Amino acid sequence: MVDTPIAEVKNVTVQFGNADARIILQDVDLKINSGEVVALLGPSGCGKSTLLRVMVGLIAPTRGQAFAHGRALVGIHPGVSIVFQQFGLFPWLTVQENVRMALNGLELDQRGAEERVKQCIDTVGLDGFEEAYPKELSGGMKQRVGIARALARGPELLCMDEPFSALDVFTAESLRSEVYRLWSGKPADNTHAALPSSLKSVMIITHLIEEAVFLADRIVVMGTRPGHIRQILHNDVPHPREYQSPAFLRMVQQLHDVITREQLPEMPVAPSAQPQTPGGLPMPEPLPHVTTGHIFGLMEVVKDHGGNMDIYSVDQLTEYDFGYTLSVVKAGEMLGFLDTPKNQVFLTELGRQLLDGDINQRKRMLRERLLTLGTFRFVRQLLLEARNQRLPVDVVEEELAIRLTAEDIEKMFETVVGWGRFAELLGYSDDDSELYLDPEAAAV
Amino acid sequence: MTLFGATSLAQLTFSFLPQTIPRLMALVLFHTDKVRQSLKTPAALGVELFVLCAAAALIGTIVLTFQQWSRPYSQALVIDLSLWRLPKYTLMSLARGFAAYVISLAFTLIYGSIAAHHRRAEKVMVPLLDVFQAIPVLGFLPGLVLMLVNLFPHRQFGLELACILMIFTGQVWNMTFSYHASVRNIPSAMREVAAIQHFSAWQSFRWLELPASMIGLVWNSMMSMAGGWFFLTVNEAFTLGDHDYRLPGIGSYMSEAIYRGNHAAMYGAVAAMIVMIILVDQIVWRPIVVWSQRFKIEEQAGDDEARSWVLTLFHRSRLLARVGQWLRRNDKDSNAQLPAPVLHLRRHPQHWLRLLRLLGRLGRLSAMVLTGWLLIRGGWGLYKLLTALPLRQTAAGSAGWSTVLLALGASFLRTSTAVLLGAVWTLPVGIWIGRSRKWSQRFQPVIQVAASFPAPMLFPLAVLLLFWLKIPFTIGCIALMVLGTQWYILFNIVAGASAIPHDFTECADVYRMSRPQRWRRIYLPCVFPYLLTGLITAAGGAWNATIVSEYLQAGGHTLIAFGLGSIISKATAAGNFPLLAASVISMAAFVVLLNRFFWKRLYRLAEARYSLNA
Repeated sequence: MVDTPIAEVKNVTVQFGNADARIILQDVDLKINSGEVVALLGPSGCGKSTLLRVMVGLIAPTRGQAFAHGRALVGIHPGVSIVFQQFGLFPWLTVQENVRMALNGLELDQRGAEERVKQCIDTVGLDGFEEAYPKELSGGMKQRVGIARALARGPELLCMDEPFSALDVFTAESLRSEVYRLWSGKPADNTHAALPSSLKSVMIITHLIEEAVFLADRIVVMGTRPGHIRQILHNDVPHPREYQSPAFLRMVQQLHDVITREQLPEMPVAPSAQPQTPGGLPMPEPLPHVTTGHIFGLMEVVKDHGGNMDIYSVDQLTEYDFGYTLSVVKAGEMLGFLDTPKNQVFLTELGRQLLDGDINQRKRMLRERLLTLGTFRFVRQLLLEARNQRLPVDVVEEELAIRLTAEDIEKMFETVVGWGRFAELLGYSDDDSELYLDPEAAAV
Repeated sequence: MTLFGATSLAQLTFSFLPQTIPRLMALVLFHTDKVRQSLKTPAALGVELFVLCAAAALIGTIVLTFQQWSRPYSQALVIDLSLWRLPKYTLMSLARGFAAYVISLAFTLIYGSIAAHHRRAEKVMVPLLDVFQAIPVLGFLPGLVLMLVNLFPHRQFGLELACILMIFTGQVWNMTFSYHASVRNIPSAMREVAAIQHFSAWQSFRWLELPASMIGLVWNSMMSMAGGWFFLTVNEAFTLGDHDYRLPGIGSYMSEAIYRGNHAAMYGAVAAMIVMIILVDQIVWRPIVVWSQRFKIEEQAGDDEARSWVLTLFHRSRLLARVGQWLRRNDKDSNAQLPAPVLHLRRHPQHWLRLLRLLGRLGRLSAMVLTGWLLIRGGWGLYKLLTALPLRQTAAGSAGWSTVLLALGASFLRTSTAVLLGAVWTLPVGIWIGRSRKWSQRFQPVIQVAASFPAPMLFPLAVLLLFWLKIPFTIGCIALMVLGTQWYILFNIVAGASAIPHDFTECADVYRMSRPQRWRRIYLPCVFPYLLTGLITAAGGAWNATIVSEYLQAGGHTLIAFGLGSIISKATAAGNFPLLAASVISMAAFVVLLNRFFWKRLYRLAEARYSLNA
């Protein structure tokens, strides 16, 4: 018999809401085979959680089909457990009762159930906490309960949805390596530690490149707008894995390249000809959803490092995921303050001038740069033509939405207001929900 | 158990009571850690006695209630004003309140669950709830009483049912809202856990939805019970023209006492009511509140841990512990004892699903048919009634639509004035109390009792005062409305004032803000959302109060102030159904519209601008 995948999706598209609603996932195919650890890696909003939920049967796909052992999936996949980012523990039940709940519907007698619960609590090192309520536990301990509960069902596929993201850095690292030891079959110092024999595969969702390389055999890199699979890489870094080993770093580098190629394509710093819409208005372009504070902060970091940095070293210095760091770099590049030949980040002459100026000079420079961007020229033009140079937010949002169909317009608008306000180019009154042109900017 | 032999029981009781009673008193009055520590040695038998007494009282009340309900209906109710009858009357009232509460709870769980689980039904059910909550239900009292008395002409049951349904309609809506909101706000991870672990619908309810909504449900149950007394006392003392629809209870006792001018009985009734409110709070709600703390989703720092001396007692009782063990044992093994067909269905849920789906479809179909029929029948009946009312007042002086509109205006003026008057005195007092930790702790229980106390019981006394002050009743009845509604406002303002962040007051100190500046810039904006919540509740209460306060029988007089409330009462007394229908519908529609277009908007503003958790 050919080994069929434990879980599989074919041609899956997910849309929330009505027909023209945002597409979360588009035409995704993925197989989870027996005996592998698969990581779904991608920035926030790429639909990786949704993909997991489709595979498990929590979300029905709009198009396409999910399979369990080669048969079309009906309801919840029978052999699956999930570890949740926010733990999902019932606060009114003790640790023991929470784990015990997971045995619901399994045919176990009283004693069998008790033994199973005890064993799973042992495995994650929670002995002594059986009678504790979740609110008495730290985040790390809570997640241990989450893992014990997931194991208690005796799953063949264990799904982990960003299991370490809600924890602080130290706790996350210690739990991560413990999980790694667990499924690489090393009992460490805990002799009880054992996984249920039924467990065959693990699927883990993460936005951290290192986490994926550390834990997974196969890494599925996902992209946004709409969520799709960019590339699937086999991770052959030998066990035991160590963050600083050459093979590990090579793998990380390879993933960085895959992600950077999508987010920062080589592009000219300033477009030579300003494209126009049919109505004679400048054509708006998408803006990265980042704050001016972050752009300036990143520029300061680059300046402190001699004005030239490797993009990965920039990422190492921040607590954000790589995708967000890239967005900030991209914003700096659009404004002409940064340049990114290959994987380098350079502070431009303009950027250097901006950092040397005081707050008012910064604002003036940013205003000048903003007016080279299609979006701001477009919004300015709209406002200039409006009465009193004011427009209701809905109108501006709609005008943008017509021209930027793939964007989340509310986020985009937030960015426009944030940048525009700082540059004293635009004003925004929350009371009237109106956007207006700053008097100074109108004169430019 | 020889322990409960007659002689030893008597012996023990005598040797025990002298110690137990002071201990209990100490526990009740000074419920502090210190006292509890000193009481560590369990007064075991005293505790068991207490538990047994409580159980006996419960059973006694239930028996009494059933006796009362199955009694033949009699027009002439005789109320015995001797003070020693008062506990019995109070118990009867209490039983009605709890009967209504049980119905409310059942309704809440069913309605709330359906609305939370069926998206399409939810779209109708939640706005409907909103409307019901806004409608002044007392407007329907006369009609409901007449209908149910006609339905059960020979038994007291009809009248009792009318009373209980009335209380129910006063209790249920906020409970249902709270439950529905809690169920909808269950974190998605928990929902997914339930799905992954293959919870059945019942298991989800029992292990997820009920626990998750417990805190809100308990809190709203307390509020509802307190609000229910208002309707209870009005109902028990309900008379219409020559017809006596009174029920034996504390409400009717009070009205009788006033009618007879029996001062001792009047004070006795007020005292009994206060004692009942305090006892219900201490014996029923406190233990439940303390117990429900375990369902808190997050631990909040600085929360005072709630305490209950009754729960402490219960925890000490071995008897109760035994009962609890026995119950739990039976609960746990339930899986093994299930009959074979049920087990079969459990193992093969697809049969279940098919059956459930079929039942669901049948249920939905019949519900739709029934609702449709009711809508058409009711709508047609209503249409006929409403068109039967002439547009203008007739030459003979009987009322028309114009009268209804005019009365609506009069009542609107009155309720608005009442709410404003209430706000004017409660705003400074409430902020003052709330700002001072010491005073808010002292006043909290007092306000709580005052808010639960049914104002209509005091109306006749207030009327006497109005007579004495020579204030015309058309204006004076506003005072009656204030009496009932001001507490909601005060309650909310105190809550708001005690939630003013410390940073703000420190800021005011640093910048040497003057007192008026503090009020204008800090206190009032901070309190505004709370004030608004209080005003909305008070306005709703004021409309209900129009029906009892614009038409009042006291001291052998019938006092009438021109307004929608009095028109409703008069129309019922005269059997003028077109007028009754028109008035009730106008009032309901007006209040709903007022809520939608005035209060809701104001509330949104408050949320957006003055909410502190931005």
